Amino acid sequence: MTTNESNTEGFTSHISKQFNEELEHIRTELLAMGGIVERQVHQSVEALLTGDVQLAEDALTIDLQTNAMELKIDERCTSIIARRQPAASDLRLIVSISKAVVDLERMGDEASRICRQTIELGNQGSSQHGFQEVRHIANLVRSMVKEVLTAFARGDIEQAFKVAKSDRAVDQEYRSAMRTLVSLMMEDPRSISSCLNVIWVLRSLERIGDHSRNMAEHIIYLVSGQNVRHQSITDMKATVDKSI
Amino acid sequence: MSQVKKANVDLSSIIKNQQNLKFADEQIMLHTQDLKVFYGEKEALHGVTMDIPRNRVTAFIGPSGCGKSTLLRCFNRMNDLVDSCSITGQIILDNQNIYEKNVEVAELRRRVGMVFQKPNPFPKSIYENVAYGLRIQGVKKKRLIDEVVEWALKSAALWDEVKDRLHESALGLSGGQQQRLVIARTIAVKPEVLLLDEPASALDPISTLKIEELIHELKKDFTIIIVTHNMQQAARVSDYTAFMYMGDLIEFGVTDTLFTNPEKKQTEDYITGRFG
Repeated sequence: MTTNESNTEGFTSHISKQFNEELEHIRTELLAMGGIVERQVHQSVEALLTGDVQLAEDALTIDLQTNAMELKIDERCTSIIARRQPAASDLRLIVSISKAVVDLERMGDEASRICRQTIELGNQGSSQHGFQEVRHIANLVRSMVKEVLTAFARGDIEQAFKVAKSDRAVDQEYRSAMRTLVSLMMEDPRSISSCLNVIWVLRSLERIGDHSRNMAEHIIYLVSGQNVRHQSITDMKATVDKSI
Repeated sequence: MSQVKKANVDLSSIIKNQQNLKFADEQIMLHTQDLKVFYGEKEALHGVTMDIPRNRVTAFIGPSGCGKSTLLRCFNRMNDLVDSCSITGQIILDNQNIYEKNVEVAELRRRVGMVFQKPNPFPKSIYENVAYGLRIQGVKKKRLIDEVVEWALKSAALWDEVKDRLHESALGLSGGQQQRLVIARTIAVKPEVLLLDEPASALDPISTLKIEELIHELKKDFTIIIVTHNMQQAARVSDYTAFMYMGDLIEFGVTDTLFTNPEKKQTEDYITGRFG
């Protein structure tokens, strides 16, 4: 038997060492980009909750870095497809990374939107309508981002599934927060302007949750080979259970 | 909300349909049952059982010495020509075991044609190369032979390139043209199965693409089995792929699935270049 049974890490034992390095490198870069986006989301929420306009402006500059990394990783994916014609798990890795960078980049864009709303709110003077809801949803979403990156690093589909499942909780919280804010605006029309800014923030957080779920689906595809996009959570669970 | 749900259901059924190539829906052209091949004492093929679907391209892949060419050569009894070779098990073509004593081997090889790695045109004219099989069968009518030669050369995507020099020597053609001529010669006798043993490995990339395009066209009329060392070629041209290793059939399945999500670790290791 000439197969390398000792290889449990998956991406380390090609006959071509250079190919190993290229795949390892691109994975590391994706995780580095994930780290940057995680920081961007964290800073944007902190800036909003503390009313720190300077922090929001700093977080906005991180987006340039995220965009540059998206282009770089995308180029590497194209180059590997062109030169190596990857198959099976290698192909799934490249396809998943190439999709995950798009989701990460969009998460960065949403974080930037939060920063811009923070700057606007700062210009309007202090108002903390809906901040309780923002804090609550932001905690859920930040943990989704963190967990999905860990799941990617470990190739852990159970953890990926947990992330996909949490998106439902975020959606529920988002709807409930919207109801609260609408009531608030009806009760006190003077709050409409600041509430609208907060609604945009909530919308961005909800979208970051959606992108985390997308990434979780890419991980499930990468590890199991099964495409679970557009599936219900129950069907997804069945797929994940079958692959474990 | 209910509309959204319905849309989701439709979408997932579309996704499933894309991978709908299934053995269950195929007509079976050839069936091997516990096929073993021995070269002297050495067992080169350890009991292969598989179905080859009709009007599809089936590719055999695997490292050198895995038995894929040996298996291919069993389908038209080319192994009979090797003195030390003996075979057990069955290959069923149209309800008959081709290894039964009453099988006419020449007729079997007409029904199951073969093309080799290196183009081997006869030192005759282009026309005579294609007409050769018919003449051997005793066909004498010139009009009929003309028709078949034109049909075969057109089917082999060579007609436009050679129609004005049909009576020139076939040896003057390029390697890629010679290989297509050999394919034309093989299909002129209307076989049912085409065995291709690394048909493009001696050709340049453009000629290779022409052969691959030709394989795609020919599967409408023939069942094709191709042995190739080039995995990308197997991925491009075949509907089904069989991965062989050390005389065993390790995995056989729909090409799309085998190249994106193989079931066996050995297949995964081979197609991703982790073997060895």
